[in-house]
Amino acid sequence: MNRGVLFYLMVPLLLLLSLLQSTAAGRLQLGGVKPDLVLLTVIIGTMLYGGRSGVLWGFVGGIGVDLFSGGPIGASSLALMAAALLASLGHRPLSRFNVMVPLAAATLGTLTYAAVYLAILTLLKTMGWFGRDLPFLEAMRYIVLPATLYNTVLMLLALPLLNRMPESQDL
Amino acid sequence: MRNTDKRPLNLGDLGIRLIILVLAALLFLALQVSGNLSPLTSLATQITTPAQLSATGVTESVTTLWTSLLSLRTIQQDAASLAVRNLQLQAEINTLKEVEKENESLRGMLDFAQTRPRLALRGAQMVARSIGVESTNFFDSIQIDLGKEQGIQVGMPVVTAQGLVGRISDVNDATSTVLLLNDASSSASALLGTSRLNGVVRGSASGELVMDFIPQGPTFTTGEVVLTSGLGARFPKGIVIGTIKSIETQANAVFQKAVVDPSVDFGSLELVLVITNFEANENLPDFQTSSTITDTIQAEDAPLPTPPATEPENDIESGADTGAAATPAPAGTTP
Repeated sequence: MNRGVLFYLMVPLLLLLSLLQSTAAGRLQLGGVKPDLVLLTVIIGTMLYGGRSGVLWGFVGGIGVDLFSGGPIGASSLALMAAALLASLGHRPLSRFNVMVPLAAATLGTLTYAAVYLAILTLLKTMGWFGRDLPFLEAMRYIVLPATLYNTVLMLLALPLLNRMPESQDL
Repeated sequence: MRNTDKRPLNLGDLGIRLIILVLAALLFLALQVSGNLSPLTSLATQITTPAQLSATGVTESVTTLWTSLLSLRTIQQDAASLAVRNLQLQAEINTLKEVEKENESLRGMLDFAQTRPRLALRGAQMVARSIGVESTNFFDSIQIDLGKEQGIQVGMPVVTAQGLVGRISDVNDATSTVLLLNDASSSASALLGTSRLNGVVRGSASGELVMDFIPQGPTFTTGEVVLTSGLGARFPKGIVIGTIKSIETQANAVFQKAVVDPSVDFGSLELVLVITNFEANENLPDFQTSSTITDTIQAEDAPLPTPPATEPENDIESGADTGAAATPAPAGTTP
């Protein structure tokens, strides 16, 4: 078993990043889009330690994000867990040491996360359970796509660090 | 270490965990939409708000620091530029102060010229101060930038607005030497302003001015103004020399003696006036004491006379020379 320090630090790290997502991420805004720090961390953690841990971190990170953002609690958790499931493909079936795997994980993970989250918002709005609503297509075009690009670039920048970390077995 | 192929993917564990977590998330969602999660979220918000505020503060501080670091180079460039600008402005201020002092000096000289309309005065700038040592005595003189070319001749009196400086002792084509009044070889006939006693003011080796040959009998006091008497035809009458500083009276002596505090600071001469039309035995209509000169300057402070159009620094001429510059004034009156 080779878990590494990061494994044990993931939960507090995700809570801290949830806090920073609502405070500091605004300073990193580019073209009106903030980076999804929690999402990227969940994706990286999932690629390093597998899907079983990934979905847990997605759940914890999602609770943190919703708590600080004022969104419907649980929506981000579902979205992040979906992204973690997708990223877990990079842990076993595909090698994350292939440059394209982390980049694809970031791109597809962001799209999945956004799609699930927007779908939940739309559903809650339709049911009349939650007041906020974002037009799905407009949000995809003006928020999700730039955010996907941003997250992918950040993942590219994180690659050298990611490649230095030893791969762990799926716990 | 790569072990991705060593263990099979355990989808069962993942599925169970996923289902539990999804159900938990859905429970949270259901609790929130039903309003049952409000107390918990309120509590969580109360707990996390300070952390959010702190994080916001730290973020702002870090952002400010980062911005400062990024702009450090610009700030350094600005600082260097401002330092250069500061030096330039300092130099400019010094120049302006110098100009102000010169202006003040020139204004005084202009007033001096206006109170003596019958004198032809030429302004001169001191080009060098020479103090040579001769075999017998110290020779204290200055050089000015006026010479034969400007009509300067040996013996012409040299003054400033404050009073008598000396007289021309040597003339070259473009420069002249002025023998200062405080030189040991220099002397001038003098008159006490109040007691009207005559005497001779002469320089001394110590640099002091001494008024000698004051008749015994009549009394005079310290602080009395000493003026040129015009006797001996060396200097015009009525130019201030200084004030009586101390009196040396000897009972059996024929004359009294006094130390004179010169009105001119011989150590800081910059601009002087050369009286070019002085003739021997000419008597000025009246003299003005230093106090009356001061009164005149103060009275004329508001409308300043127009400076001469040519050679403003070196050529300040009164009406006697130009025939137009100043209106000749009656004796003892302010022009």
